[in-house]
Amino acid sequence: MVAIMAKPVEQRAYDDLVVLAKTQAGALGRLYELYYDRIFRFCVHRLFNKTTAEDVTSSVFLTVARTMREFKGNTEQDFRSWIYTIAANQANAHIRKTMRRKRLLSNALGHRQADAEAIDDPAAWSSLDWPTLYAAIQELKPEHQTILTLRFFENMDYDEIGRVVDARPATIRVTLHRTLRRLQEVLRGEE
Amino acid sequence: MSENESEFRKMVAGLRIDAEPNSVHRDQLRRQMLQAFERAGVGRQTTEDRGQKAVRRDRPPSTVSHLPLGRLAIAAAVLIAGTLGAWSLLGRGPTSFQQVRLATQRMPWLYAVVSRCQGPDVRTERHWYDFAAQKAFAVMDDSSVVGWEYGVGARKLVYNPRVQTLQIGELSGAGVNVTENLVSTFAAFASRDKVTRSTAQREGQTVLAFEYEKSEPGLRISNRVVNRLKIALMAEPRTRRVVAARVEYEDGGGSVLAREDWVMSYPSSGPATVYDLNVPAWAGTTDTRQRPIGTPSDAPTAIGTPAPTSGLRLAPLEIRLPKPTFTGTSRDFRLPNLERPRGAARPPFLAPIGTMNVALGKPVSSSDPEPVIGSLDAITDGDKEALEGSFVELSPGPQSITLDLQEQCEVYAVVVWHYHRWQRAYVDVLVQVAQDPAFKTGVRTIFNNDADNSLGLGAGTDLSYVETYEGKLIDGKGAQGRYVRLFTDGNTHDDLNHYIEVEVYGRPSDK
Repeated sequence: MVAIMAKPVEQRAYDDLVVLAKTQAGALGRLYELYYDRIFRFCVHRLFNKTTAEDVTSSVFLTVARTMREFKGNTEQDFRSWIYTIAANQANAHIRKTMRRKRLLSNALGHRQADAEAIDDPAAWSSLDWPTLYAAIQELKPEHQTILTLRFFENMDYDEIGRVVDARPATIRVTLHRTLRRLQEVLRGEE
Repeated sequence: MSENESEFRKMVAGLRIDAEPNSVHRDQLRRQMLQAFERAGVGRQTTEDRGQKAVRRDRPPSTVSHLPLGRLAIAAAVLIAGTLGAWSLLGRGPTSFQQVRLATQRMPWLYAVVSRCQGPDVRTERHWYDFAAQKAFAVMDDSSVVGWEYGVGARKLVYNPRVQTLQIGELSGAGVNVTENLVSTFAAFASRDKVTRSTAQREGQTVLAFEYEKSEPGLRISNRVVNRLKIALMAEPRTRRVVAARVEYEDGGGSVLAREDWVMSYPSSGPATVYDLNVPAWAGTTDTRQRPIGTPSDAPTAIGTPAPTSGLRLAPLEIRLPKPTFTGTSRDFRLPNLERPRGAARPPFLAPIGTMNVALGKPVSSSDPEPVIGSLDAITDGDKEALEGSFVELSPGPQSITLDLQEQCEVYAVVVWHYHRWQRAYVDVLVQVAQDPAFKTGVRTIFNNDADNSLGLGAGTDLSYVETYEGKLIDGKGAQGRYVRLFTDGNTHDDLNHYIEVEVYGRPSDK
C-alpha cells in the first residue's frame, strides 16, 4: 500500500512545484535544478557544440523565466512538454538563423567522408561515430531531427514526443521509422 | 520497438558524446533566470496595478453541490471567499489582511489546486475564480465540471461525464441563502473572535499567515458533526496575494475528520465557459430552472417578452480581450486602403445564443511547418497576450495557417490577433472557410484585403487595418465549414508573419 501511494505523492509534489513556480522564485529554482542537465544535454545533441548548446540553454531558461507566470499547465508533465517544445524551437531557430550550422556541417562532413567507406552495412549502426552521425542527422528535416533526438537521446516515449511536437503517437512512430530509413540512405550516400 | 530502432538505440548508447554541463554556466544561468523571473513579476505587477479598475466585491459560489465529495471543497471555497468578503463588508480587521484581500481580488483569475484528504481518500480538484465576471469553475476528481455564474442571470452548471449531460440549475434559493448565511456568520465571527496573525515558512520562503478557528460551524462530514473548523490562509509578503490555505474539520474529540490543502496561483486567463474545461460541445443540456411564467406565487414576477418562435435569438459575443500593450508612436503606413481608427471600443457583435469559440484548443497547420518562433498550438491556446512565448512567427512572404475545427460548423465571427504589441498592419489578410482541407470545394472567403490579388486568390475590397489589442473581428456571415484558413504576406514593419490567437465563434452545424 505504501509503495502504491509513494509514487503519486511524489508526482503530486512535482506537480505542486510547477504550480508554485509560477509565483515563487524558490520553486522555479528547484525546477531549474531538475531540468538544467536535461535541456543542456538535449541542446548538445541538437547543436553538436557545447558552447552553442550553452547559449541556447540560456535562451530556453530565460524564456521560461519570462513566461512562467503565464504558463497554463499545472503538472510536471505539462512543464516537461512545454520546456522541451521551447528547447526544440530555439534549437531549430538557432540552426536556421546562424551560419554556424554550415561550419558545423562542414567540419562534421569531413569526418563523414573519412568514415564513409567504413559503413559497408548501414543496418549495423555500430561502426558510426558521433560527428558522422550528427552530420547525417543534419541532412534530415528539422522536425525529424527533433523527433530522433527526443527518442534516442532523451529516451522519450511516443506519447511524450507527441506532446512536444504536437503530433499523435502513431504519427511519431511512423515518422521515426521513415526517419531511420532515410538516415540509412544518407549514410549510404544516397541522396 | 522495431529491430532497426533497437539497433540504432544500441549504437547511440555506445557513442562518446561530451554533454557534461559546465557548473559555472549552470550557476550563472540560475542567477540570471531568477532575476529575469523577478523582473517579469515586477513588470507584470506594475502593468496590472495601472490597468486595474475598481475592485468588485466577489460573492462566493454556492455550497450546494450534487456531488458528495465536491460538497466539502465547495464549502471551503465559500468559507475562504466568504472570509475575504466578510472583512470587506465590515471594513474592519487587520489592515494587512485587507491588503491581502484586495491584492487577491485584483487579479483577473485565481486558480487553485485543492487536495482533499478524508481518511485514506485523497482527491484533487481544480478551481478557477474570475472575480470581475463573477464566475467560478471547478473540475472535480471524477472529471465532473461545475460552473457558478453569480452575476446577472445567476445559474449553476453541472456537467456529468458519465451521462455526458450538462445540467443548468438555479443558483438562487438555497444556494444563495447558504452563501449569505456563511458570509454573515463569518462577518460576525471576524468581528468577535481573534484572528491570529503570524509568519510561517513555506517552500523556503517566509509568508504571512492568518489563522482562525470556529466552533460548531454547522457542518457535517460523513454524517459526523464538525465541532471545530480551522482555516489558515497564507499570503506572499511581496505580492500580498493568498498563495495557500489549509482547512481542517475536527470532531468533538479533536480528531481531524477531513483536511484540505489549497495552492493558489494567478494565471492571466482562464476558462470563459464550462466548454473550455473539456465539456464537449455536443453534450446534452438539461435546464432544470423553474420558469416563473404563469405560476402563482406570493411575489408575482413580470412575464418577459416571449422569444421569437422562428429565427435565431441573438446575444452579444463575449470576447475576452488581452491587456493593451501597444508601445511606440503612431506611424503613417501609407497603405492605399487603410481603415480609419475607430477611436472607441468595438461595438458589440451579435451572434446566435450558444455561439462559442469553436477553435479553442483545435489543431493548427501552416504553410510554414516549422515556425521561426513559437509553436502553432499557441494560435488556439486561448492566450492573447502580446508577450514572449505567446505568439508564433512564420517565415517571410505569403504564409497561411489552417484551423481544423474538427466538425462542421456555422461560423459567425473570426477574431484574429496577429501581433498587437507594436503598431503595424498586416498585408494581404485573407480569411476563408471551407468544408474540405484542400480548400477546393465549399470555400467561402469572408475577408480579403489583398487589393492587388498578389496572393492569386482574387482581389479583395476589404480595408487594411492596424493591429490593436481588440483583435480584428471578421463577420463570418454564418459560413459553413470545418476548416478556417488565414493568409498574410508580411506586415508594414517587416516581411514576417505573426499570430497570437485566432478565435472562431460558431456552432456545430448539426445543432
